[in-house]
Amino acid sequence: MSTFALDNPVWNRLRDPRTAGIAGIVLGVVACFVALPPITARSPLYPVLVGIAAAILGLSAALRGLRRLGWGAFAAGLIGIVLGVLATRSSEGNLSIVFTASLIASMFVFSTPLVFGSMAGIFSERSGVVNIGLEGMMLMGAFWGVYGADKGKSWAVGILVAMLAGGLLALVHAYFAIHLRADQIVGGTAVNFLALGITGYFFFQLYNGQDIPIGVSTIPDVHLPYIRHWKYIGPAIGSLNLLVWVSFALVIVTWFVLFKTPIGLRIRACGEHPRAADTVGINVYAIRYGCVVLSGMLAALGGAYLSIGFGGGAYTDNMTAGRGFIALAAMIFGNWRPFGAFGAALLFGFSTALAYRLPAYSGSAATLFQALPYVLTLIAVAGVVGRTVPPAADGKPYKKQ
Amino acid sequence: MTDELVLEMRGITKKFPGIVANDDVSLDVRKGEVHALLGENGAGKSTLMNILYGLYKPDEGQLLLQGKPAVFGSAKDAIQAGIGMVHQHFMLIPVMTVAENIVLGNEPVRDGVLLDERGAEERVRELSKQYGLAVDPTALIADITVGQQQRVAILKALYRGAEILILDEPTAVLTPQEATELFGIVRSLRADGKSIIFISHKLNEVLEIADRITVLRRGKKVATVSREGATEESLARAMVGRDVLLRVDKPPAEAGEPLLQVDDLHVFDDRGIEKVRGVSFAVRAGEIVGIAGVDGNGQSELIDAIAGLRKIESGTIELAGRTLEHATAREMLDAGLGHIPEDRQVRGLVLEFTIAENIALHDYAEPPDAKWGWLFPKKLVERARTLIREFDVRGGGPLSRAGTLSGGNQQKVVVAREIARDPRVLIAAQPTRGLDVGAIEFLHRRLVDERAEGRAILLVSLELDEILSLSDRILVLYEGELVGEHGADVSEEEIGLEMLGGRRTAA
Amino acid sequence: MRRGGKDGVSDRPDPDAVPETPEEASATGTLAARFALRQRSGGLIVPVLTALVAFLLGGLIVLATGHNPLLAYRDIFNGAGLNWIFHPTTSMVSTASYNLSQTLLQTTTLILTGLAVAFAFRCGMFNIGGQGQYFVGLYVANWVGVSLPHLATFPHIVLGIGAAILAGAVWAGIAGSLKAYVGAHEVITTIMLNWIAIWIGTYFFGDGGPLQNSQNATVPISNDVAASAKLPVFWGIQALQGLDVGFFIALAALVVFWALLNRTTLGYEVRAVGFNPEAAAYGGISVKKNLIRAMAISGAFAGLAGGLDMLGYLYHFATSDIPVSNIGFLGIAVALLGRNTAVGTGIAALLFGALLFGTTHGLSSNVIQPELAGNLTYMIQGLVVLFVGADVLILYVWNTRRRLRVRGVTA
Repeated sequence: MSTFALDNPVWNRLRDPRTAGIAGIVLGVVACFVALPPITARSPLYPVLVGIAAAILGLSAALRGLRRLGWGAFAAGLIGIVLGVLATRSSEGNLSIVFTASLIASMFVFSTPLVFGSMAGIFSERSGVVNIGLEGMMLMGAFWGVYGADKGKSWAVGILVAMLAGGLLALVHAYFAIHLRADQIVGGTAVNFLALGITGYFFFQLYNGQDIPIGVSTIPDVHLPYIRHWKYIGPAIGSLNLLVWVSFALVIVTWFVLFKTPIGLRIRACGEHPRAADTVGINVYAIRYGCVVLSGMLAALGGAYLSIGFGGGAYTDNMTAGRGFIALAAMIFGNWRPFGAFGAALLFGFSTALAYRLPAYSGSAATLFQALPYVLTLIAVAGVVGRTVPPAADGKPYKKQ
Repeated sequence: MTDELVLEMRGITKKFPGIVANDDVSLDVRKGEVHALLGENGAGKSTLMNILYGLYKPDEGQLLLQGKPAVFGSAKDAIQAGIGMVHQHFMLIPVMTVAENIVLGNEPVRDGVLLDERGAEERVRELSKQYGLAVDPTALIADITVGQQQRVAILKALYRGAEILILDEPTAVLTPQEATELFGIVRSLRADGKSIIFISHKLNEVLEIADRITVLRRGKKVATVSREGATEESLARAMVGRDVLLRVDKPPAEAGEPLLQVDDLHVFDDRGIEKVRGVSFAVRAGEIVGIAGVDGNGQSELIDAIAGLRKIESGTIELAGRTLEHATAREMLDAGLGHIPEDRQVRGLVLEFTIAENIALHDYAEPPDAKWGWLFPKKLVERARTLIREFDVRGGGPLSRAGTLSGGNQQKVVVAREIARDPRVLIAAQPTRGLDVGAIEFLHRRLVDERAEGRAILLVSLELDEILSLSDRILVLYEGELVGEHGADVSEEEIGLEMLGGRRTAA
Repeated sequence: MRRGGKDGVSDRPDPDAVPETPEEASATGTLAARFALRQRSGGLIVPVLTALVAFLLGGLIVLATGHNPLLAYRDIFNGAGLNWIFHPTTSMVSTASYNLSQTLLQTTTLILTGLAVAFAFRCGMFNIGGQGQYFVGLYVANWVGVSLPHLATFPHIVLGIGAAILAGAVWAGIAGSLKAYVGAHEVITTIMLNWIAIWIGTYFFGDGGPLQNSQNATVPISNDVAASAKLPVFWGIQALQGLDVGFFIALAALVVFWALLNRTTLGYEVRAVGFNPEAAAYGGISVKKNLIRAMAISGAFAGLAGGLDMLGYLYHFATSDIPVSNIGFLGIAVALLGRNTAVGTGIAALLFGALLFGTTHGLSSNVIQPELAGNLTYMIQGLVVLFVGADVLILYVWNTRRRLRVRGVTA
């Protein structure tokens, strides 16, 4: 037994409580998924077995000191069992209505604005400026994107105008946060109000509050030539909007810039310890300005996606409806890391996509499901699933000596 | 050392609102010398160095590098001119690696845009071999010791091609062993032809390491002397401008029963490091017990633990006959503890509150200040008025905000509040830090008076002078342990030796 | 004795340096401390100036889009019924009289949502969750108002309002507890709680929800509260949304707020924690307890706002109200402009109440449409928060004063 344990690499890795905890969480999720299409196990035995394995791994991690992760995995196992068994009880017909490959496609649809928003947030906050104003910057992008696409007769112009508008609003935030050293949270809140007023005002002034012409140029979908006919994968990713792919690229670029380039090192230095950056000759103000403005432009892209991307050229008042805040939540959930935030955005997008389909079971349950991202974020900031650690100087105004 | 001057600062004057930080100060540094800048806190050392490092612009005066005039608009200019600074707080980023910290702002690049991490690590290894500064380039700053962090900070300056290296109070945060290692490093840098400006207020280390010593006092340069011929006494006189040690006149103590008894106390700091390791002592009624020690040897944690502001890992505290286990700050106050905290602005006062409100900080919820949760501001003001008169607080009345008072008067408010509660035990932590001579005398006299009232007074101070002149008994804290216990007649040298871990006289 | 020696990277400001300028003070210190400084430095001038500048900038946008800002503001003034002071009457036939009663109805709510922000502020916290706390107040008041139809009037109202207060307190208390025990930032948690409150409301009052009306299952609206739960109306007619006694309750809340903060030991503790938590802890005050308590009291004000609105004039809740309602967020501007004091909050609430009603339902103007003017309110709100949140005008006033003082000395 002992020789086996020593030699087996899998076993060896599981002896590390951290790995065990993470494996437990993964298994907990799997426990639920084995009962869903495409696997659709019909016997409750499978989810129960997998779930128990997850709970055991969690318990072992918890008993070896990693309490948060361990109990998290334990809970994931139990929840996996419950959901999995429930799924085996429900009719296969319902299951296949809800869990189709196009669920994946709509997950991407709903997560894309969040991905843009969270990457925007990461740039700003990694440089040390809290950006509660994401919501407003996104809203600016949504409205001015339509305006640009309409007047410029091209979605490309729309995107440019959107980014300009988002960048301008971000500049206001940056000026107050950096130069005037105002409280960044109060400033961000103000920026949200401003955006709401400006977009509402001009929407009525320019379009009478409703009359955006039909047939505004919209951002095209990308139809992948062969892949779109593949089973499962085709409907999932075969014809996604261009901006969805751009958002994927953005995640990689964000990670690359922040962690693999000198400028990224400097940005992170400004967010962690601006004085240290200053003493080696880095211009903290310039970096922060750049990051906040970039943040506004990226958030605006997410907004433009709402109106002239997946929205098909429509705009309504306060169109973002809190997505900027969920993006912020995704960023926190992802611990201010691009891939973490991407994962969180996908999770939130998935829960929204699911909520749109759940009425097959129950309308009110679907409604409650919409609250899931916020509950998850609440749990995340409460430090139940590993503590989130913002950049050390995030939100702190810096004064040059 | 050659006579070649690498740096001259001529007639530097820098004024801040209400204070002349540097008044016509001149300093010259030779190639390959260690030049110590000696002075008390507030003598103007930091200002002078910040000017040299391009952080401040001088109001008057001139800077010459290798004989040529130089003007620095920012730290960047200074770095480019070959000046490196190791700040007292190292300016390192804990979540980044050693190599990342060193190359920050000057990163090696490969393929045009990429951060060359390997190259950075390689370069750091080379540098650390060249100067004998062993560090692991891939380690996170948060994971290495303070001594290693300091080496990283030095490497950071050397990486930028520093020829003149400013070390700002470099030993303040080091253990004695680390300090010895640091001196070795400084000597080898000198041998490599670097010039080092060594800022300190410790006589012994200056005499050990420096070639020449410039003494500043109250913003003015007093003298530049070479080490040969300089003695601790002569330097001390130059530093403080008087023959040191003002003993406070006081009758011998008539100590009574022990009022504060600490037994085998263990306390951890915020990061989970054990800072107080099995400390036991007693303070009796009518005596002043002083705790001497270098900054950071567990004083803060010890006081906080006694005051109920920090969790006690193990051990017991007995106050006025009651054993208190895991007591809250409120329980300690009620048990008869008075506490003059080490930082009056951070902890001792709510600066936005009025003097009256500050005086009520412990008793705001008890009659006559309040009844059934209802507050009586007039009573607060009345009490404040009496205390302001008794303690001679100047510059404001009961309704003035505490923040508008001068430091000395703020401290008087704190002392008035603590003493007026008639505590059995009084902790005075750094009671005179940053105060002028008049306020210091007032407070010292007051502490002696309170001793006569039969209180047990625990005095914690970094100023050895203060400890020696006030205490009836002296305990020495080193690395969280009490290493010495003495009567009032002990010499400064004996205590100094123990403070630095040089010997122990107590278990 | 420097605490910590932590990792050699903390750059704490020199403890012996008293902030000389607002810039220095704003670089250090807690939120509450910064605002206290602001209070001293500007007196009345700054909030008035802030409001004027915000109106001016808003007017510029109006001008740039081809409307006359002066006439627009005049119409908004009249729309809010503020011209009533020129012809005071209680007759509801007078438009001014009706408009003013509606403005005061909005003011009632704004006073309370403003106090909700202000109270948390005084304890050093920023409560953006007023909207959510207001919603749970609405829900619970509706539930109590609908489900106990046989109760006598007075106990029914007391019960309904009490339940709303409690609901708001609990909702905000969650954020307070998370802050106290795990250090979760209250801004993030209150935003999340806002959305959770919204979806809970959508669930309860939406189609098929447990509190949806009993007549029509396709309309996402609640039942009306019982007559016994409706607050008495003292100006105007109940059916026409007259001004109810909730207005006086809100005025009383201003007094309670002031007394609570300045005349009780609880207020002393809250203010001490808000200004300097470390000194408060040293003084024997439990910081955790006060964070939770201050947040709960803050939420109680917002919950009360919801309760009064529900029992005062709304009577039912429709899920379609959710995206329209902004009154909790407006409380932020009210509190900031009112500098987190009772009197200031009252005045600012009147200003924003007038704006809110005068730019929308009350507005009859050929200069500017209500849809435009309504958004003008948001812009002015944003500008006010932006300017008050920063030190811009404070700095300006401060510097001018200093310049004047220096000139006075040299002259």
